[in-house]
Amino acid sequence: MNRLLANRSIRLVIGLVAPAILLAWWQWFATTPGASAVALAPLGSVGSAFLELANNGTLLGDITATLGRAFTGFAIGASLGVATGTAMAVLPLLNRVLGPLLNGLRQVPMIGWLPLIGLWFGTGEGSELIVVCLGAFFPAMLNTHAGVANVEQRYLDVGEIFRFTATQRFVRILLPAAMPLILTGLTQSLAFAWIGTLASELLMGAGGGLGVTLQTAQIQQRLDVILVTVAITAVLGFAINQIIARVRREVLRWQPVQY
Amino acid sequence: MASRAVPAVGSTLGTAPAPGIKAAGDRSRWSAVAAPLSLLAAWQLACMSGVFPSQVLVPPSEVVRTLWQMAASGELRMHVGDSLYRLTIGFVIGGFAGLAFGATIALSRLAEAAFSPLFLTLWQVPVIAFVPTMVLFLGINEPFKIAVVAIAAFFPIALATFDGVRGVPKAWFEVAKVYRTRLPDLVWRILVPATIPSVLTGLRISLTRAWIVLVAAELLAADSGIGQMMEMGRQLFQLDVVLAGVVVSGLIGFALDRGAREIERRASKWRTA
Repeated sequence: MNRLLANRSIRLVIGLVAPAILLAWWQWFATTPGASAVALAPLGSVGSAFLELANNGTLLGDITATLGRAFTGFAIGASLGVATGTAMAVLPLLNRVLGPLLNGLRQVPMIGWLPLIGLWFGTGEGSELIVVCLGAFFPAMLNTHAGVANVEQRYLDVGEIFRFTATQRFVRILLPAAMPLILTGLTQSLAFAWIGTLASELLMGAGGGLGVTLQTAQIQQRLDVILVTVAITAVLGFAINQIIARVRREVLRWQPVQY
Repeated sequence: MASRAVPAVGSTLGTAPAPGIKAAGDRSRWSAVAAPLSLLAAWQLACMSGVFPSQVLVPPSEVVRTLWQMAASGELRMHVGDSLYRLTIGFVIGGFAGLAFGATIALSRLAEAAFSPLFLTLWQVPVIAFVPTMVLFLGINEPFKIAVVAIAAFFPIALATFDGVRGVPKAWFEVAKVYRTRLPDLVWRILVPATIPSVLTGLRISLTRAWIVLVAAELLAADSGIGQMMEMGRQLFQLDVVLAGVVVSGLIGFALDRGAREIERRASKWRTA
């Protein structure tokens, strides 16, 4: 048995069994007349929904809108987060003033801000972006702060011996030493930005995007459209994770591999 | 170097590590309190000066009064109670399913080959994206909200359990084999104690995530709960209710995380001892 499992192609086949059974059950269920047939779209209609969305350009428009929102929010939120985290680690006074406040604010679930932001800024695309920025801000801020504040003393001592100026100390010691944690923070920020984008689109439904399409499809009871969109979400999420992993390996090449 | 317990796939989506913001020394202790207090005072003064209309910002005293009133009328207890009930039931279901699934695919190579591709594919989808599908199938009533929590809890726990069980040194299993340990004993006396630290980490991560997803689900569709309370407040332009909801959901999230961390710390004590 174990020798069989060592073979890659056999593993692949075994891995396909469960999805195949699931799909077969689904197809059978959807085509059998009954109460659930309303909700379950047959597999063929999912395929045609995909072609329909792909051909009339909805899909591409949604993907660019969602990715654009996620990455814009990530860029704004995460860079603010890294800047705040660094500033708080370098300036103790700022840390004392802002630290407790930010630590209190971050306890609120990202989605919990939606109604408040909706009240203040309306339920438009701007509000969606603010939620994404908020989601991206906190992980970047926390990890950067932890990274810069906890740099090993001996690194700083070496800098002292070489009489580094404050700038040199920052660029040559603090930043590289904090890089692993900063990257961890950025990784989490991107994940939060991605989820925040979908959630805010789904809940506010403004502008275009995969979340907006999901919401509309839910109202119209178009399960086929929903499933196509969810599948696209999965593919994009997977791609983002892969990119993150690659960037991380590339930037942290100097680090010994940790197990 | 003992970072094995961190789920490889889940780590990108994991919550932030322990906060690095920690006040040090005695002087900073009072300033840690002073900073938020002075902010609250500034907020209160800004509202009293009339710069902001009450549709834009209500003073903290107003928020506290609203909270007090809702607490006295039992409304707050109903919302919090309903939310926590959903969280508990969904978490128990999703948690047990995740434990069983994670342990199964960790122990059996065949089960891993059969189920992990499907599992890892579904894992790529944010739980929130499952919401429309689930609304179509389950409606917007109680089963839907419990299912959302259960799904949000399932994935991190399953991954953490998988990593935990796989992380048990092979030698321990060999010892068990030598002693001809029966399966129940193997599970209770070796697997469970050895995997508890990483499983608890998974439980904590999934608990906070389940809370976020539940609030989102309640915002979307509910007749009670913290999320619904805030959504109603938003629709009726009751800023005080919305702010009260923000405060309460933050406090609950904080308490859940702290409680879970405490349990984690106590249960993992044997490791360093």
